[in-house]
Parts: sequence; C-alpha cells; structure tokens
Amino acid sequence: MSSSSDLDRQIEQLKRCEPLKESEVKVLCLKAMEILVEESNVQRVDAPVTICGDIHGQFYDMKELFKVGGDCPKTNYLFLGDFVDRGFYSVETFLLLLALKVRYPDRITLIRGNHESRQITQVYGFYDECLRKYGSVNVWRYCTDIFDYLSLSALIENKIFSVHGGLSPAISTLDQIRTIDRKQEVPHDGAMCDLLWSDPEDIVDSWGLSPRGAGYLFGGSVVTSFNHSNNIDYICRAHQLVMEGYKWMFNNQIVTVWSAPNYCYRCGNVAAILELDGNLTKQFRVFEAAPQESRGTPAKKPAPDYFL
Amino acid sequence: MELEVDENDLKAAGAELFAEGGRRGIRINGWLIETRRHSILNSSTFQEWEQKLDTSHLPEMVFGENTLILKHLSSGTNIHFNAFDALRGWKQEALPPVEVPAAAKWKFRSKPSQQVILDYDYTFTTPYCGSGTIEIDKDLNEGETSKETSDIHWEDCKDQIDVVALASKEPILFYDEVVLYEDELADNGVSLLTIKVRVMPSSWFLLLRFWLRVDGVLIRLRETRMHCVFGGSTNPIILRESCWRESTFQALSAKGHPFDSGAYGDPSFISQKLPIIMHKTQKLVISS
Repeated sequence: MSSSSDLDRQIEQLKRCEPLKESEVKVLCLKAMEILVEESNVQRVDAPVTICGDIHGQFYDMKELFKVGGDCPKTNYLFLGDFVDRGFYSVETFLLLLALKVRYPDRITLIRGNHESRQITQVYGFYDECLRKYGSVNVWRYCTDIFDYLSLSALIENKIFSVHGGLSPAISTLDQIRTIDRKQEVPHDGAMCDLLWSDPEDIVDSWGLSPRGAGYLFGGSVVTSFNHSNNIDYICRAHQLVMEGYKWMFNNQIVTVWSAPNYCYRCGNVAAILELDGNLTKQFRVFEAAPQESRGTPAKKPAPDYFL
Repeated sequence: MELEVDENDLKAAGAELFAEGGRRGIRINGWLIETRRHSILNSSTFQEWEQKLDTSHLPEMVFGENTLILKHLSSGTNIHFNAFDALRGWKQEALPPVEVPAAAKWKFRSKPSQQVILDYDYTFTTPYCGSGTIEIDKDLNEGETSKETSDIHWEDCKDQIDVVALASKEPILFYDEVVLYEDELADNGVSLLTIKVRVMPSSWFLLLRFWLRVDGVLIRLRETRMHCVFGGSTNPIILRESCWRESTFQALSAKGHPFDSGAYGDPSFISQKLPIIMHKTQKLVISS
C-alpha cells in the first residue's frame, strides 16, 4: 500500500468528519514533523495563494470555506493558526489540515496560532475533545508536539507578511524572527509570544499594554515602521473576531482576516478568506456558516432546564 | 431552541405560544413574555455604541438586539433585559482591571518607549439587574391616547424566592436562554452575560447571570433572579434576588478545589463554592 494512497483515504475519511485511528494519527504526525522541521520561522509562500484566518474547530464551516475557495491542491492555501478549541470538531479540523499538508506540502502552509499550545488547549476544548473521542490523551500529545513545529509567520512573494497575532517591540526585522527557536511551548512573554498574541489598537499610536497587565497592543506608527523597514506592502493577520469577515486598519497597512462564520455557533457573523492572484491582486471572499443540513447530526431539541 | 411543549399543558394553563422572525414567546395569565435573538452588532453599530457609551472598548460579541421582555398587560408594567443598559452599568461602575498571571513577568520586560497602559475594566463586570418601565395610556381631551412612561419601584424586603416550588417538576410551557454579551478576554478567560427564563402554569422565573473567569486568577458571579407567582385575583408581586459571589483561584485551591482553569467551564457547577460578597432581595408590587 503506497503512502499517497493511505493519505488519500485518510483525507477522504476526514472530509466526512470521521476521525482517524490513534495509530494513524501518530504516523501522520511523524510525517508532518519531517516536513515542518524544514520550514522557516518566516516561511516563504508563492502567489497565487488564499489566506485563511481562525477556524476554531468549526469543521463544517471549514468545508464551506473550501467550497468558496476551492479544494487543495488546486487552490494554494495559507492558514494563520487557531485551528483548534472552542468549536466541536477540533480533532477532525486539525487532522484534515495536517493530512493535506503531508499530502501536498507545497500547496498548503500552516502557521501557529496562540491556541496551538498545550496550556491553552487544556482550557478551551481540544484536550477534552481528544479525551472524549479517543479515550486517552495520546492524540492530544501527538498534536501538541506538532504545534511546536509550525512556522511562526509567512512571507508572500517577499511583499505580504502574515502572522497570527501581530508585532513585537523585540522585533523590527524579519531576520530577528528567523533567529527565534520556535520548537517549544508558546512562552508567556517575549518575541514569540508577541507574534501569536498581540493586537492592533486604534487608540494607541506606538505601543500599548493591555489592561490585563500582559499583552502588547500596537499602533499605526509601529506598523508603518515595520512595513517600511522590511519593504512590505501590508500585514495580514487573524486572531480577532471581525463581524464582516475582514477589517483594514492604519491606512490599509494591516488587515485582520477571520474565517469562523457564526462564531461559537451563535454570533451570526460572516467570515472571509483573502485571495491573492499571481499579481497579488486582492479579493476577499466572504461566506456564511454551513447550513444545518450539511452538519451531519441534526439540531438537538434541548431538554427543559429546571435552572434555579 | 424549540422546546417540545405539550399542547394539553398549554390549553390547561390558558396559554398561547407565538414565534415570528427572531421573536418568540408566550401569553399567559395576563403576561406577554418574549425573547429576541439575533447576530452580534455589525461594525458600524458597534462604533455607534462605543460613542454613546463613551468608551474605546466593548465586549467582542455584543448581541445588541437580543432581549427578554416581560409585559404585564393590564398594568403596563414592562421588565426587560438588554445589552446596552447592562454595558451602561459596566461603564458607571468602572471596577479596576484585574491582572492576569503573566502580568508579574511582564513588569520586568524592557518597556518600549512611548508605551501607554490601558486601564478600562476589561472584565466588563456589570451591576445590572434589569430595566423596567410602566406605560400608562392617558386619554386626552379629543379622545387621543398618549403613552406616559415612568420607572418601576423596587422596595427592599426580607422575602425569599420559593426555591422548593421552583424545584418541583411542573411542566415548562416556555423556556429560552439569551446571550447579551460575551468577551473571551483575549483568551485569558471568559466574561458572559446571559438571561434564562422559564414559564410554568403557576409562575415565571428568570436568571440573569454575569459569569467571569480570569484564568488562574478570579471567578466572579453576579446573579439576579426574579420570580412571579400568577395570582388569580390579587395584584402580582415579583421578587428579585441579587447575589454577588467571588473567589480567587488561590482561595479556591486552599479549600481543596482544583486550581486548573479547565475545571471551571460551567458556572452552575462552581456557583455554590464561591463565597457571597453581597446579597439582597427586593419586591415589586404591581398595581393595576
């Protein structure tokens, strides 16, 4: 049995939202590790490419995304992290993306979000989901090991910088990102933390500190300086819910792309992906949540809640 | 959220359900009880609300059109719940921000020049207990009618909500849960304001709950319960109990509860473990 054939069967299985066997996950993760270890912290991506924001385990809505953007490998994809947590199907979501990565390594790029973390996934759903679907935490361990190998950012045709969260006061050049040792749990502070956690902030011009006492906020002059120093047209990032699917800030120097429609299955928001053609011409493709009938299980009638 | 309701139970109670667009509800014993559920605010309305509330930040998910309305038809009494009034309460109270565990480390990071520190209450804690008005139809000289609105008046009392009656499994004729706002605290926890209502043949009962978890730091619950027993002839009385419970993770851990944030996903489960900070009961007597 050839490796491609195994992978194709696994991909078809995952597309039906059927999880793989634990032993298959282990093999898939080992193969993925071999591919990801070769990638740069600033992974080079060629256009045409379609950029996707957070998915958060909303598997059927990701299938809707592929309907809109086209299947991989015909469409070249860049996913900006936060594949897991919050939604009901983090396992199937992450494994499908990982299987596509192994099968078509040059046609899909996955970078790390702040949820691709052992600590975060133990609180926000992925850990519990793995335990429920596999009866042990082995799959969670295999996947969180892979998280450490994901790239931290991507650079499209040397012109568009993509990252999950945003910028860091410890980083002014792309080469500084390249020197980070990324194969670790997401730290609580420092440059690697900032790339995955920081947010743009309208009322800040330079740097701001969140009222939580941790977490950087960056303003327009920081983005201007970074883009100029690195000869970048704009930054494409994810990380924050945007009601209309995408949002430009700071005179179109940075855009947030959000790809989880009807977020948490109740927000009613639309989602978007950013298509860049061979000349880097932009088109945002906006889409809605998958209709109820394509979600497999029927909507459950709630039992009466005798809350007190 | 279509609850299966027995038609016979509805008939026996003289009640009628309705559903239309985002609105659904029940008419029973002189009350009209209705919920509305829609999407979160779009960007332009979100900015409008920021201006009206004079703030640079709102929860990420503001369900601005979501509401629960309880109308007592003969008296014009109207009790309702909405995100805008709740956020107005948040803005007025303006608690100091809560630091996350990583803040201790961040104090030692080298500061970029021109760093500003934001200091609004990012937990969006609100003292909101609901909104209320009385609409009175006034007949003017030429037979015209105008609506006059006045505030309802809650008076402190020592009564308590009849939990035993509420615990009995009377048929539920109408049930809904509506989210007013939610924020993920940038993946440092959860802040969530919801309202639940259930209507039985003998009474209606609601729970407005503000639920906050700052991971590794603090759990806070502010709850408002209202209960109204349907009286055949006497004027209805509504009891309102407000309760504020709070504990640090450290205090919970000292009592033997888990320190791990993953254990605190459901506020109903941990509610009784949290010490009471404030508790009061009030009543509203409805005059026809």
